[in-house]
Amino acid sequence: MTDGRTFDTQGPSQQPDSPQGRTSPEGHSHLEGMTLVSAFAESPTPMVLTQARGGDHAIVWVNAAFLAMTGYARDEIVGRDCRMLQGPQTDPETVARIRAALAAGRTFETELVNYRKDGSSFWNGMTLSPVRDGAGAITHYYAAQADMTGKHSLEVAMTHANHDLERRVAEQTADLRAALEQKTALLHEVDHRVKNNLQVISSLMLLKARRTPEGEARAALNGMAERIGALSTVHRMLYSAGDVTRFNLQEFADDFLGDLVAGLDGERTAVSAAIDSMAVSAAMAAPLALMLHELATNAVRHAFPDNRAGRVSITARRRDGALHMLIEDDGVGLSATVPNPAGFGRSLVEMVVRQLRGTIAWSETAPGTRVEINVPLDAISLSEAVPDPDVEVPRWAT
Amino acid sequence: MGHVTPTPPLRILVVEDEVLIALELECLLDDLGHVTVGVAGSSQEAIALGLATHPDVALVDIHLIDGPTGVAVARALSADPHTTVVFMTANAKRIPDDFAGALGVIAKPYSERVVAGALRYVADRRAGHAASLEGLDGFRLAADGSERLHH
Repeated sequence: MTDGRTFDTQGPSQQPDSPQGRTSPEGHSHLEGMTLVSAFAESPTPMVLTQARGGDHAIVWVNAAFLAMTGYARDEIVGRDCRMLQGPQTDPETVARIRAALAAGRTFETELVNYRKDGSSFWNGMTLSPVRDGAGAITHYYAAQADMTGKHSLEVAMTHANHDLERRVAEQTADLRAALEQKTALLHEVDHRVKNNLQVISSLMLLKARRTPEGEARAALNGMAERIGALSTVHRMLYSAGDVTRFNLQEFADDFLGDLVAGLDGERTAVSAAIDSMAVSAAMAAPLALMLHELATNAVRHAFPDNRAGRVSITARRRDGALHMLIEDDGVGLSATVPNPAGFGRSLVEMVVRQLRGTIAWSETAPGTRVEINVPLDAISLSEAVPDPDVEVPRWAT
Repeated sequence: MGHVTPTPPLRILVVEDEVLIALELECLLDDLGHVTVGVAGSSQEAIALGLATHPDVALVDIHLIDGPTGVAVARALSADPHTTVVFMTANAKRIPDDFAGALGVIAKPYSERVVAGALRYVADRRAGHAASLEGLDGFRLAADGSERLHH
């Protein structure tokens, strides 16, 4: 517009009547002032202009949106101080900061609780700025405003919701923790009971065996006590190592063969074992332990009658997702063990292998017996990270 | 594994509330050549028998007739410098860090071999001999168990 005036070709005579030509003392065009006033007056943004003379901040102009927001009529509010909008919920510190900013001639943005004519409160988000005259002196203050009540109640609701959520999560966590503690205590209690009962069952068998005359009945009772012993060892190892889902076959074999060899006349029978260190699932632990127990015990007890000397070798390897077990002895062979005291042991092994969905092959190796077993490992057994490559070869040659 | 040196007989107090286990253990101790000087099912009985018999060894279960009082029994019995206390329990988690003065623990369910081996270890140590725990998976010493033997 100043360009239009500068390069006006219509001549100076027309300038006083031309809207473009009329200028205010400050140098702004009248049209510009008029247009701005009319734009501000009709703006949906509430606006207010106050005097800036000393402490007197009397309102000199408001727009319709401001009146609509506050509920006042123009003549009720013009000439009065903006302080009239404040009330009990208005934060005095924010008010003080506004005053300080205005006094320093700074623009300031804040949110403040104000009150409508009907006494209801609202959050007034305002941008205040000083208006200066041509000499740079502050003559007025101008503020554009917005009702932020919706945003504020949303924030308050969010804060409440967050606190509520946090409280509920904390409550649930505490509940879960208490439930877990209870379950852990229960697990320990059950574990303790199972171990104690296994001990009682074993003691019961052994007591009865002690009071039974030497012979078949006594041997059967002792045999059962040993089987219970093998299962007890599994249980002890299963719940002592921390991992209740898996069981180390090698650790079991070490312990069990230690027991077996301790009861042998070591001069005659040598037992050697090479068992891979492998974790098997808890579900497979008891059947495998029983199987190993039967095969090793059978070989040691029945392959070498009449003080015959010999050796038993046991290997267990993990290969291609399966357990391969080989039990060999150089004793008298299957057909010679009459009247087959090992009969129950053998059928027990076959039942267990069937349960584990494996295969078993018995063969006479003249001299001796060879038993080969393949058992597929289940998912839990296979989920082990990396099988331990170290193979310990303990030897119980006594 | 053979008995290289003959184990001197030990006078043993059995603290066990489960009658069948206690009875079988007595038989086992007898088989092993040891002498059972008493069987106690409660903490009071155990402490009284300990004072009366001054056993060489006390085999102490944690859970007794009057509750998990085996720990207190171990503390009381190990106050006698003559007595070596060994826990014998399915509840090793209840044993305090200091083992209440006990030398170690035999885990239940135990095998006869582990009981025999643990007692041989105790006898050897009491006699001032070197002793090995090799192959005794079911027997565990207290953290400072090696210094805990009185002569």
